[in-house]
Amino acid sequence: MNRRVVITAASAITPIGHSKKEIIHSLLNGVSGVKPLRTDNLLTRYIHSGVFGTVDYEIAFDFKRLYRKTMGPVALYACQVAKEALEQSGLQPEFITSGRLGVAFGSTHGSPTVQREIYGKFFSGSNERFASIGAVDYLKSMVHTTAVNITKMFGITGRVISSSTACTTSSQSIGFGYETIKFGIQDAMLCGGADEYDTTTVAVFDNLLACSTGFNGTPHRTPRPFDADRDGLVVGEGAGAVLLEEYESAKKRGAVILAEVIGFACNNNGGDLILPNVNGITQTLQIALRDAGIRPDEVDFISAHATATKMGDVIEAKAIHAVYGENSPYISGLKGYMGHTMGSCGAIETILTMYMMEQGIIAPTLNLENIDDRCAMIRHATTLMEHPIRIAAIQNFAFGGVNTCLLIKKFE
Amino acid sequence: MTREEVVNKILAVFEEEFEIINPGLDDDLREVHEFDSIDAIELLIEIENFLDAELTQDEKKAAMGIRTINDICDYIMTLAVTHTESES
Repeated sequence: MNRRVVITAASAITPIGHSKKEIIHSLLNGVSGVKPLRTDNLLTRYIHSGVFGTVDYEIAFDFKRLYRKTMGPVALYACQVAKEALEQSGLQPEFITSGRLGVAFGSTHGSPTVQREIYGKFFSGSNERFASIGAVDYLKSMVHTTAVNITKMFGITGRVISSSTACTTSSQSIGFGYETIKFGIQDAMLCGGADEYDTTTVAVFDNLLACSTGFNGTPHRTPRPFDADRDGLVVGEGAGAVLLEEYESAKKRGAVILAEVIGFACNNNGGDLILPNVNGITQTLQIALRDAGIRPDEVDFISAHATATKMGDVIEAKAIHAVYGENSPYISGLKGYMGHTMGSCGAIETILTMYMMEQGIIAPTLNLENIDDRCAMIRHATTLMEHPIRIAAIQNFAFGGVNTCLLIKKFE
Repeated sequence: MTREEVVNKILAVFEEEFEIINPGLDDDLREVHEFDSIDAIELLIEIENFLDAELTQDEKKAAMGIRTINDICDYIMTLAVTHTESES
């Protein structure tokens, strides 16, 4: 069985907006969602990086207590984008609960906010006598909290996949969802990822010397993917959900088809858990093209992982060059707008790519002013341009040596 | 501690912690108010705080069959006696 898979709904909560209109406005106008790092009286005074990709607008989470009680911030984000995607899809409750729809959704940690509260009680010694872990604390903090809060809220009874592979969490969600439908296991999959504000994530990358520290006074000027003056990544927050459906059934019910998923690859570098690996990434890009059955010159746009670390961007540029050659497609590093939204970045960057595909534009890499010579052999989008995107690649790489590449095609 | 005080305390807990306002004292909490096993565990923590006593595992398990506010109040009144006796 080898079925076509299409995207019929999408929703994102990002540092540059929530609605499609807001996000496109930010892309068109070079608006950054990077703001000063929040102060939480915990670790921030020890952290050198003072910036964060921030969701600084109110979201009305209108969920009944029955559902809300098992959600930490990350599950609230996830359920909000899932709700919006399902509403947008027009799928009927009978289908949603039929077992034909599954969920592939994840996050980096579950809810670190809730985990901190749990361990805070342990270490403070303030509550030794009574049970200090609430019945819902685990349900809020567990790694698959996003996926199962979604299944609970909508009564979804199909397969559950909950990837938790840091930066490739949600690109895996979409890829595994695509394969699940392609091979006939489910007829539809609600896929994505989410991550909430978390000081400890910033601290981890800060300790690894991977965070941007030189633009604390001008947050909008960082991260700077592929730029000679880039000085590291900016951690962020957000969520993204896409609804994947088997093409024939989507067409039959008259669904609006936003794009088609035509290929996916996931591999591992088989070695170092932190350092990027040009061979591993190159192979990922090649496997995705083979999976889609297309040539490199058929790809019009690449959404690069491009976290703006010194080494990562160079390795990615080398891999793109190895696969696509001198005349590579236009390349943008969308993290220039939002920072690194961690477990949600693959889904968010897929959604932003679909928006650009629909608008017939390519948004440039924000803050790319002076291309690093070591990244200059590929074709960077440095200005906003009207340019049709028929096929796009979305690349994401994670600690642990996990690499993914999704290929999506404009639906015609 | 009178039964009226216990009822008022429990109704306050239900409003503050579970957003269930003025439930009928004999309402089936699960059927009428979607009060589930997770909520029951959370309620036990509130009861421990209220009684200023740590409940045993057997006492907690005995609470799992509770269905109504009146059942909860009966349970607390019994616990209050047991724990007062054990302290004296």
